[in-house]
Amino acid sequence: MKPEITRLTLGVLPLNDAAPLVVALEHGLFAAEGLEVTLSVETSWAGLRDAMQLGLLDGAQLLALMPLASTLGLDGRKTPMLSALTLNTGGNAITVSQALYRHMEANAPRGLADPVDSARALAAVVEQRRQQGEPPLRFANVYPFSSHRYLLRYWMAAGGVDPDADMALRVVPPPLVASRLQAGELDGYCVGEPWNSLAEHQGIGRVICGSLDIWGGSQEKVFGVREAWAEQYPATHQAVLRALLRACLWLDAPGNRPKAARLMCEGGYLDVPPHVVEQGMRDPAERTSGDGLPGATRFHRHAANFPWRSQTMWYAAQMRRWGHLDEALDLSAAVERCVRPALYRQAAEAVGLSVPVEDTRVEGAHAQDWTLAGSHGDIDMAPDAFMDGARFSGA
Amino acid sequence: MTIRVLIVDAKPERSQELEQAMGDAGFEVVATVDEQQDLHAVVERLAPDAVIIDSALPSRDTLEHVGQLGRRYPKPMIMLAEQESPDLTRIAAKAGVSAYVVDHVQPALMRSMVNVAIASFESHRALKGELTRTQETLAQRRSIDRAKALVMELRSIGEEAAYQYLRTTAMNRRMTIHELAQELLTAAGKR
Repeated sequence: MKPEITRLTLGVLPLNDAAPLVVALEHGLFAAEGLEVTLSVETSWAGLRDAMQLGLLDGAQLLALMPLASTLGLDGRKTPMLSALTLNTGGNAITVSQALYRHMEANAPRGLADPVDSARALAAVVEQRRQQGEPPLRFANVYPFSSHRYLLRYWMAAGGVDPDADMALRVVPPPLVASRLQAGELDGYCVGEPWNSLAEHQGIGRVICGSLDIWGGSQEKVFGVREAWAEQYPATHQAVLRALLRACLWLDAPGNRPKAARLMCEGGYLDVPPHVVEQGMRDPAERTSGDGLPGATRFHRHAANFPWRSQTMWYAAQMRRWGHLDEALDLSAAVERCVRPALYRQAAEAVGLSVPVEDTRVEGAHAQDWTLAGSHGDIDMAPDAFMDGARFSGA
Repeated sequence: MTIRVLIVDAKPERSQELEQAMGDAGFEVVATVDEQQDLHAVVERLAPDAVIIDSALPSRDTLEHVGQLGRRYPKPMIMLAEQESPDLTRIAAKAGVSAYVVDHVQPALMRSMVNVAIASFESHRALKGELTRTQETLAQRRSIDRAKALVMELRSIGEEAAYQYLRTTAMNRRMTIHELAQELLTAAGKR
């Protein structure tokens, strides 16, 4: 079926995980689908949301919670949005200042390598500061409806820290976090790459753990469109999804990450030195024992692009846990509307991929590599465990 | 009741004009800050009724978070302007103006405030010959294409090779392809 419209403007933010859209454009994958795509590099999630809700963009790289928040009217003007493709899993990390790192280290009998141990060390520091009458530690994330916010809170709570009572939490845009950390105005943050690698590279901060260490199955960015747009232009939507899937396949093929990092910098999508982008754009498969890869991300392998409804449900459940979501809301109906695995399957099968047959899974059930029976053969899956061994099977 | 406005803008010249225009229209500007200050703390301390911010500033996301913290904090205009003036948010977005307003500000006052900001941004843009962000992206693409054509002509090479040349050179010189394109076109007198 021919695309109903071919000239598209898609929105991205200057982040490593804009890579699938940049690769699809720069390698002519959109063009191969007959699409003429312009990428609009926005400067804030709020700006991206406004542009989506005002109809200035056809689609965009969004935080996994944004289609749900927009559909429910929590984020900006109530505008139904949906996603049929996850752009990546992982990719974020928690970074703390050198001072806090030393303080945590002094309170970590078992070291800081395990996220539960580092969270307990944080709790010990919080307690000492309280006894000494010092103000709460200041941590930042990137947006109210973000994976970063809820992964950070999950990590803190797993160590016994009450993020609301014990911490001063705020939003600071990623390009500003490192300088705030250096200026002593922040003690830590959870952001995507390259902003953790950058702080570590400049000696400003220390990376504590990556988002895959907190939740092995952590869905990160998604490709989102307005529901009305998807209904009006189904063939265009499928063409975009196929191009993005091919870009994601390329990103996870051996040896391509450094090329992607250069593409991001040279194309002017990221104003950060290429080697810093490259460092933050590593494949978890490169991990060897004892070699942490904070900010490591998956763009395709292990069914990373499949939009599991249970992933979005987990984030929504975290919103509810912290009182950020109305208790009375019918969450599963809302998630069914915003997360569309059937549209993914259509695109993925056209590209020749085996796809998961279920729409949900028990999150956190696998601490080791495992195999999933897909529509056209087995799919190699990666661990999806939570740092504390929890399992999540719904609201 | 006078509406107390916080201005967030990294261009001092423009924000001074805006401050003046706001005052003339009967609004009280409580402070003008750029991104170097902790916006979360500024909003808590000054408790403005409204914030006008350059929509190109990443700090908008800090205001989004503050807006979620309670009724007394300003909310993004796109949440409030729906019934009153559906087009205003779009016009403001195109002009590069973002507004955050507490919900007890009368819609007519909010419209007037946003219109003052739009006019101020537009006149500054006209004066400085600046492009909007969308135009900038397109203009960048065009100059890269023109630089590519120039390299193809000068070096008698194909399109792909010309693009590779631009890429490699830009990387070696630690600049973006767009900056390199501008430089090549200027050097060739084709800008």
